Amino acid sequence: MDNQPKNRISRKGLTVWRLYGIIETIILALLAIGAGVLTYFLDWPVWLYAVYAGIVVLFAFLFIYLFPKIRWQRWRYEVREQEIELQHGLFIVKRTLVPMVRVQHVDTEQGPILRRYDLAEITISTAATTHTIPALITSEADELRGMISALARVAEDDV
Amino acid sequence: MSNVRYKLHPVSAFINFMKSLKELIIPFLVIFGVNIFREGGISAMFNEGWVGLLPLIIGLAVVLMSLVIGIVKWKRFVYWFEDGELRIEYGLFVKKKRYIPFERIQSLNYTEGIFHRPFDLVKVKVETAGSSKAGEAEAELTAIKRADADRIETEMEKAKYPAVPAMGPHEAVTETAEESAAPQKKELKTLYRMSMKELLILATTSGGIGVVISAVGVFLSQFSELIPYEAIYEEVMLFLRFGYLIVALAVFAGLLVAWVISVILTLLANYQFTIQVDDDHIYITRGLLEKKKVSVPFKRIQGIKVSRNPLRELFGYGVVTVESAGGSMGAKDEKIRLFPLVKTADMLPVLRELFPDMEFEPELTKAPKRSVHFYYRLDFIWMLPVIGALGYYFYPYGLLSLLIVPPVIAVGIWQHRTAGYALTGKQLTMEFRGFSKHTFYAWKKRVQAVNVSQTYFQRKRELASIQATIKSGMLGYTARLTYMEKDDASRILEWYQPSPRRIKQKDQPE
Repeated sequence: MDNQPKNRISRKGLTVWRLYGIIETIILALLAIGAGVLTYFLDWPVWLYAVYAGIVVLFAFLFIYLFPKIRWQRWRYEVREQEIELQHGLFIVKRTLVPMVRVQHVDTEQGPILRRYDLAEITISTAATTHTIPALITSEADELRGMISALARVAEDDV
Repeated sequence: MSNVRYKLHPVSAFINFMKSLKELIIPFLVIFGVNIFREGGISAMFNEGWVGLLPLIIGLAVVLMSLVIGIVKWKRFVYWFEDGELRIEYGLFVKKKRYIPFERIQSLNYTEGIFHRPFDLVKVKVETAGSSKAGEAEAELTAIKRADADRIETEMEKAKYPAVPAMGPHEAVTETAEESAAPQKKELKTLYRMSMKELLILATTSGGIGVVISAVGVFLSQFSELIPYEAIYEEVMLFLRFGYLIVALAVFAGLLVAWVISVILTLLANYQFTIQVDDDHIYITRGLLEKKKVSVPFKRIQGIKVSRNPLRELFGYGVVTVESAGGSMGAKDEKIRLFPLVKTADMLPVLRELFPDMEFEPELTKAPKRSVHFYYRLDFIWMLPVIGALGYYFYPYGLLSLLIVPPVIAVGIWQHRTAGYALTGKQLTMEFRGFSKHTFYAWKKRVQAVNVSQTYFQRKRELASIQATIKSGMLGYTARLTYMEKDDASRILEWYQPSPRRIKQKDQPE
């Protein structure tokens, strides 16, 4: 419980999350502008402008700065010979242990933004659960995928 | 190979027809229902010449069509055994073939509906691990003779235990010879038969709470006479009381009817509930009108869950569910219920016989004392605003909503007292309560993943939540223990971890 898994995800993952945050903030800002226009034409109270601005700024602070930072700092993983251990979470710290013999298959996936940063996310599936490591350098992810699938041999007591 | 192609019993044409009729009921109701509200009602249909009768004609045509389709489907359906496979050929317009290797067949489940009974037929569902669609068997033989069903089973045994050199090329020998050629086929041993008393208790307690609540409602409405401020609001109260009584009575009557129906349905579904075992399967037989026989291979059983709702817990009864991997049964609410209802004392010996390596009453490590307020603290988040709003807008009666606080806290304390786990060798036991108490048993080798989580507040108090997931049906089942001692969480992680911990205090690999 106290000794954390040792590998962190790529520093670039933080950048990508910030980017997501920026995109979300832009969408929210557009909504806020829409609300502002409504306020102007429908003669709603003036202080609403401040509320809109406040929400956007707060959202930007949380989703561009704070949350990605905490999430990135918390994200750890470790792939050992017999098990995979993950730790993540924003407010709730989650530790997951998946024995290698339970792993059914491994996927890596890359969206356009991740590809730009040469990152990939890797998804580990067992018979009943799936676990994702969100941002790894592509070569690292490929290596890890190969490693996991090599380590995850069919066990005698499989499902 | 003797590639005799077998057909289904002709009754299956009729069953197909009935099945499609059943699906047609709702569209028909809609069509004719709309017509009733039309000008002149149904009778108008007959006054407008053939145009008015059009819906009727179409309806008849559809019914006829489905009859023909039912027959053609039956005509087209053949199955045979070849190369250790069950081969099926079917299809209305497109001919489909499905070959299922016998080793892949997990179980054959039998159902006898009312149409099957008179001809001594069964419906056979062939279950494999990865049935194509959730809730659907890999293959379904709508109606075949019992002897034919037995033949499938013997063929399957033969394919699974091929040895026995005596079986030469002359496979088409008599049934008896085949039987003796597969000595592995063990005698069925009956472990448990549900008594009528248990069946009645099951039926009457399964949907009971709603009835009890509405009965209390009726009772309370009578009680309001005693409330003193009636004099002030006399008229209002009179109306309220009257309306209240009617509503309460109506609800009560409605629930009573629903309850009686559910009692009857449960009785029919679970009549003569029997558990039998042979070497590698558990067989569960039940039902009066529709007799079902489900088989569960031991290999596939992932975990066992015993649930007791408060009422049944009080009388020492429980429900035992088996979590089994794959198959279509798990997808519906038809979880494989090993015991629909049983006294704890009767259940344990059977469970011990079924799963000798499992410990059913291990000593549990309970949740620590200091975590108790965690169990109800979060509820205040929704309770406070609700009570506040009710108290403000419906003063003074709204304040009665404060009465909800003690029960919520009591339930929280109750949940806290139930929560516990035990690690016994290769087995994980967890006990927890929502409202009903659940005891969950799983083998270590069946647990797919273990998850430990801590919120900010839990971290401060050194607590943690633990969850273990096993495979169940097509998906997973997750058992969750909240607010346990952090060290206990570490212990479970350590127990689950295949390789020794990095700080090597013990070099025991397991």
